[in-house]
Amino acid sequence: MNSVHKSAYWFLAPAIILMIIIFGIPIIMALGLSLTDYSLGNPGANFVGLDNYEKIFTRSSYEKMFGATFRYVLVVVPLTVGLGLGAALLINSITRFGDLYKTIYFLPVMATLMAMAIVWQIMLHPSIGEINRFLQSGCEIGWLKNLLTLSFLGFEKMDTWFGRSCEDGMPNWLGDKDYAIWVVCFIGVWQGFGFNMVLYLAGLTSVSRELYMAAEMDGAKSSWERFRLVTWPALGPTTVFVVTISCIKAFQVFDIVEAFWTRGAGPSKTAYVMMYAIFEKGIKQNLIGIGASITIIFLIFVMMITLVQRYLVEKRVHYS
Amino acid sequence: MNFSIGQTIKHAILILGALIVIAPFYTMVSYSFKSQREIETGADTGFFGSQEVIIDEFCVHRGQPEREEVKDTLELYPEKTERDVYNILLDEVKKNCTKKPVFFNYQSAFTFAPLLRYLLNGVIVTVSIFLIQVIVALPAAYALAKLRFWGRDFAFSLVLFCLLIPVHAIALPLYIMLAKVGLTNTYAALIIPWTISVFGIFLMRQFFMTVPDDLIDAGRMDGMSEFSIIWKVMLPTAIPALLAFAIFSVVAHWNDYFWPRVVITGERNLFTPPIGMREYRADSDGTFYGPIMAVSTVIVTPLIVAFMLAQKRFIEGITLSGMK
Amino acid sequence: MSGIFLKKINKSFGNTLVLNNVDLEIYEGEFLTLVGPSGCGKSTLLRILAGLESSDSGEVFIGGADMTKVKPADRNLAMVFQSYALYPHLTVSENMLTPLKLRHLSTLERFPLIGPFISREKRNELTERVRKTAKILKLESFLKRKPGQLSGGQRQRAALGRAMVRNPVGFLMDEPLSNLDAALRVHMRSELSELHKALGSTFVYVTHDQAEALTMSNRLAVMMDGNILQLGKPREIYEKPSDIRVAEFIGSPKINIFSCNVIKSNQVEICGFKIQGNFQHFMDKKISIGIRPEHLSLTNDRNCIKGIIKHRENLGSDFFMHVESPNIEKRIILRVSPEEALNLQVDAKFNFNFSQKYALFFNSAGKRVEVFDPNNITNKKIA
Repeated sequence: MNSVHKSAYWFLAPAIILMIIIFGIPIIMALGLSLTDYSLGNPGANFVGLDNYEKIFTRSSYEKMFGATFRYVLVVVPLTVGLGLGAALLINSITRFGDLYKTIYFLPVMATLMAMAIVWQIMLHPSIGEINRFLQSGCEIGWLKNLLTLSFLGFEKMDTWFGRSCEDGMPNWLGDKDYAIWVVCFIGVWQGFGFNMVLYLAGLTSVSRELYMAAEMDGAKSSWERFRLVTWPALGPTTVFVVTISCIKAFQVFDIVEAFWTRGAGPSKTAYVMMYAIFEKGIKQNLIGIGASITIIFLIFVMMITLVQRYLVEKRVHYS
Repeated sequence: MNFSIGQTIKHAILILGALIVIAPFYTMVSYSFKSQREIETGADTGFFGSQEVIIDEFCVHRGQPEREEVKDTLELYPEKTERDVYNILLDEVKKNCTKKPVFFNYQSAFTFAPLLRYLLNGVIVTVSIFLIQVIVALPAAYALAKLRFWGRDFAFSLVLFCLLIPVHAIALPLYIMLAKVGLTNTYAALIIPWTISVFGIFLMRQFFMTVPDDLIDAGRMDGMSEFSIIWKVMLPTAIPALLAFAIFSVVAHWNDYFWPRVVITGERNLFTPPIGMREYRADSDGTFYGPIMAVSTVIVTPLIVAFMLAQKRFIEGITLSGMK
Repeated sequence: MSGIFLKKINKSFGNTLVLNNVDLEIYEGEFLTLVGPSGCGKSTLLRILAGLESSDSGEVFIGGADMTKVKPADRNLAMVFQSYALYPHLTVSENMLTPLKLRHLSTLERFPLIGPFISREKRNELTERVRKTAKILKLESFLKRKPGQLSGGQRQRAALGRAMVRNPVGFLMDEPLSNLDAALRVHMRSELSELHKALGSTFVYVTHDQAEALTMSNRLAVMMDGNILQLGKPREIYEKPSDIRVAEFIGSPKINIFSCNVIKSNQVEICGFKIQGNFQHFMDKKISIGIRPEHLSLTNDRNCIKGIIKHRENLGSDFFMHVESPNIEKRIILRVSPEEALNLQVDAKFNFNFSQKYALFFNSAGKRVEVFDPNNITNKKIA
């Protein structure tokens, strides 16, 4: 038996060493570098204390960074989770073609995001993009225009978004700072909700059919009541997991921003998300101190999310 | 009787969603068949476009008659002027350069930049990453699941801790480390940060926990070393989990854009497909939409096709990841 | 006029017929068991009664009212499921409260935050009911626990409690004991019987275990292939099975079946031994004779049926001998007392016979037939 014990260390050694090199050292390095003004190629570095962090929390360009990141996370997480759950419930309750919908909704998860972002960019092109062409054609169909401009309710054509767009031309989605970050959010939702749907579908299969029957016998007549009594509590663990990974993924948004704007992260930096900031400051501009500070702040966010998750998981254990 | 109103509404919602989801895929493939003019004017020419022949300007440019050639030809037709001969020769070239848009798009996709090389790089990187991940993760997972030794709980909590940290988040210090040892712009830089998959260790450990101890003891009774137990007993039983993990790993690294963007700065020969896409947009506003859509189609298709073929396994793989 | 009446119930899943024109009347206050092998349609019948499944045709009457199209919640039946189906996120007392809340509180009163505020009195009343039920079931100390923290037997009782608090017209139970270990199962049998006596309400119980069916029920319905083969008191079913399949299903170990050709109108032979009776309707046909293991007895008479012991099964209080006999294909099982078993080791040869009055006769269609004059049953041993 002695040999069994020893070999365990041999089996674990490569993994442990790699964990230290790839996770341990970089985290400590980032912590250290965030307190200096180091840049690659320069011989030395000065200790600057918390200056980098102070800059991040005071300068307006970083305010934009937090704004863009939190806007993205706060829009994309609820929507990907909600749409994922909604799609899963719908697919679970239909009798036919469930697999087909599942396949379609999952396609964006598999597809290379960089390539698809470029496709969206073309579709969102202000003059030749299909989206504006499609909206424009809505302006030319009388009843549809009436419906969308709410003119049947007595609204003037300039009162509604659609009416204004028909008059003044459709928006320049990626060039207008009022739209840019929301378009990025939309792509994020488009890409991500299929993944959550699959996790929810898996969660739903573990809900016992007898539990639904019991609920029905107990007097939960509407499907909403059964959802609240059986489905939602049963999906609790799935939801905690889905929200956590959606958050961590949302914080990492980068590809879409790079694909849409080859430089500058959107009109007047409205899509200046954290990963982009790390990339721009740390690697493009060689301001490694600043880049490392943003890295640390990023890691703190991720840690906080995970702590919340752990707490929730511990709190609600059902069947041990 | 099954045709209830409720079901109909549900299908209506799902179809609407499906249309939005599928729209960019439709556009991508359809544009990859169309000529620049068709795309810009938005003429309704169906999914495959009109396939009206166009003149490939690149081809014409490459084939422009040389001065020597004109002179040689002029000797055969002394009655013509140099200008005339030039034009005749050019017309000849143009005739050879007319083609259907679909051929133009896909041909340009592979000639404008070394797309094949990028695809090959993608394959090299994803396959190496996966193989190394397995070689590192399997023994570790086996030790954590089935062997008793001092420090096991600590090692496992280390795995759980690393599970929280996205590698992309610590890209900057990793980049500095690689730069310090002079490894940027190498395959090694693309692969090294991914050699350890904590997720892989975790997944395989959970799977190994379900393998009965008796199986391992039987192996020991047959005289196998612990090392050969891993590869001869555990590996074969773990095929389903391994396949799920393979899918996860390959999808993530084939599609990864951020990390290659960080470590491959100038070396075009090392571009992976997502990074390679940048090459096609160099002259951004004069972008040829057809070719770039053809490139997108070529890059996206392998995984989509694989997904269609092994859908069950893919979804199983994703599901397994959600079981923590 | 109360009681439950299922009338001409038909049900198929796809091309498989699960219930074939089943009629069943369940009296008020009785403990009726639906028993049969898996796939016989017993669970489906119970679900149709509960309203969880709809029948293709037929009607369900509960308490005299036609409930065929009524939702399960409005039938006022309670159900105990095989997996107990307790809500995992709620404590035992919340689990028991759920059906009460859904029935007795309006949507507004159930609304979070303001609900408890406007319906305090009602809620106290319901909690009191839960407490009383818990007391009966000895669940009081577990009320604050979640299902995951309970043992199998406690979960079982919590599931019963959830059914009981509602004072339903009837209790439906779908194999409620099959997830328990053997000792607990035997214990819960008696608890359920006592509970039934104490509550006096109707129990409809589904099981594949013939022992449960025999021990607990007032009446049992033996189902096979979507039909009720026989409905009757346990003793009746055991002693006078109407069908060879019922005879084989009920009773453990299985009944011994000997088949023989009828060649004389007044007697049949098993291995050369004769049984007198009225066989004139079965001339030139096959007839099967069933004898339960406990009705075969050892004898010193060398003219009786010969056998060789192939396997002894020691149950402590009894021994079951698996016996091979010349000219009989199937092994015969007979029960002997431990004293008798002392002399009977494996490969021992011996003789046995049976009393004619215990022999059950089945015609070629499997239906039981009377061959003796009912007024003249003798205790005489054959041969």
